[in-house]
Amino acid sequence: MSTHAATAPAALATDSTSSSSAATKALIIGLAGLAVTAAGIALSPNKHGPVMSYLVGVTYWTAIAIGMLMMVMIHHIVDASWSVVIRRQWEHGLAAFKWLFVLFLPLLILAWVKPGYVWPWMDLHHVLHGSETVGNDVLYQKKSGFLNLDMFTGMTLAFFIIWVWLSARLRKASFTQDVDGKASWTTANRVNAAMGLPLGALTLTFAAVYWVKSLEYHWFSTMYGVWFFANCMRGALCCGVVIMVWLYRRGDYKGILNTNHFHSIGQLMLAFTVFWAYVTFSQYFLIWNANIPEETFWYNLRELNHDGSTNQWWYVGLVLVFGHFVIPFCALLSYRFKVTQPIIRRIAFWVLTVILVDMCYNILPALKDAHGDSLPFLSINLLWVLTSVIGIGGVCIWAYLRSLPTTKLIPIRDPRIGECLTHHE
Amino acid sequence: MATPNYGLIATFDSPPDLYHAAEKVRDAGYKNWDCITPFPVHGLDKAMGVRRSIVPRISLAGGITGFCTGMSMIWWTGAYDYQITVGGKPLFSPMFAFPVSYELTILFTAFATIGGMFFLNGLPMHYHPVLKYDQIKRGMDDTFFIVIEARDPRFNLANTKALLEQAGGKEIKELEA
Repeated sequence: MSTHAATAPAALATDSTSSSSAATKALIIGLAGLAVTAAGIALSPNKHGPVMSYLVGVTYWTAIAIGMLMMVMIHHIVDASWSVVIRRQWEHGLAAFKWLFVLFLPLLILAWVKPGYVWPWMDLHHVLHGSETVGNDVLYQKKSGFLNLDMFTGMTLAFFIIWVWLSARLRKASFTQDVDGKASWTTANRVNAAMGLPLGALTLTFAAVYWVKSLEYHWFSTMYGVWFFANCMRGALCCGVVIMVWLYRRGDYKGILNTNHFHSIGQLMLAFTVFWAYVTFSQYFLIWNANIPEETFWYNLRELNHDGSTNQWWYVGLVLVFGHFVIPFCALLSYRFKVTQPIIRRIAFWVLTVILVDMCYNILPALKDAHGDSLPFLSINLLWVLTSVIGIGGVCIWAYLRSLPTTKLIPIRDPRIGECLTHHE
Repeated sequence: MATPNYGLIATFDSPPDLYHAAEKVRDAGYKNWDCITPFPVHGLDKAMGVRRSIVPRISLAGGITGFCTGMSMIWWTGAYDYQITVGGKPLFSPMFAFPVSYELTILFTAFATIGGMFFLNGLPMHYHPVLKYDQIKRGMDDTFFIVIEARDPRFNLANTKALLEQAGGKEIKELEA
């Protein structure tokens, strides 16, 4: 084992100059994306579209960051060895949380300045389809203890405080261990994980309910948080693969990663592909089977117009069935695909793209025309989704790249590092 | 019988010894041979030149069979053999056939995997010539063995013995068939 550690790249500190120039580039691209999004909001006659697209972007990247947080904690709670070197990259990814909070603030401020603009239930005078107002709506009145602006604000602040706090604790213990080598940091992180996993599960569920599901507050689904969790995990695993291949090609991870690391992370990608399908199908199937209007309307919005014709979201749903499940599932069954770097990276990019489509599918049909039909998928809003994702993604990648050179490339003094470097060899 | 014995068995003291010996036997081109170890030795497959098992393909075939069985069973019972409308639902829809198909996919995959593994390993096997070797029980404790079978086309008593000796094998014995 010690021989492996000795043959690992001598520096073990990432090339800081190239990282910082890449970080600057990411920040510039991110700010440009945000600027274009802001211009889109300012110049659009109907600002709903770009604002909702921005919500898609924030939710997408927050989901990936949450997935990374959960992966780090799961690593600690099960005392995993294979993922020690990859865990370090997720720890760097957690640096994005505070910036995600900053990027969420505009939506929070908008909720106070113009209540009901994004989440209709915030405005009691908002007229629902059918000439009822939110304030007079029995369903709202029953849910108003949960769905009110104070709760929304307090909960959103609590989510980010918990995520930033957990990330800081996990990062500090891991990074300090590089310096002093104390095994007690590993046990400290085990405690952090035991405490953080239930907190993470609760916060990500409530975040999904408040930010996304409450766009249609009439709807019921107990699977929603689990659906969101599945996307979080898939996003984090795919980002992990992209980073692994990137660092391997750059030379940093040569001598550190072997095929078994790619096999292991690929197996988890396959497992969460099935998990996503199981959860998403269950949600659809139970609603389809019970066939009661309180629940079916949510899918009807995503299949039909009021005159009974099929709308574009029906095809987006099919893209999800095949693109988010069938294709990645079949591809990930193959051992060769999982361990061949260009192929597994391509699968990872594909899944990252489809997660974005899934977010669009869940958020954008809340935009409706005068008949109450969902606005089509193919519209100018896709451009704002793209600029938001690039903008927020640029900032997240900048945060990652800025954190990357501040520590050793891998946790060199983790008690399981030897086991990890010789994973199944 | 052309060759009276089953093959040759050689003893090794440690996993690295066995590992490097396995590489030599592999490079000498032998096909019908095996290592006996008290615990799994990581990387030994590669050192022996063993390819990935075809069990996953058998599993896949089992899974596809299970899925199709589930779908056609629900179609057969609900839409063909005994047509009855339940809860205003169509006579057949993949939607409600899916849970059954999904379960049968898993069940048949498990059967195929276990069955395929048993078949490829020649299990159940109640007798194996190496069991006659008086030291074989140590292979479950602290000793490592390489067995080269006489049916291997490259097998030649003198040369194979020399190869095992050169690879560091001790107590090289002939095994009765």
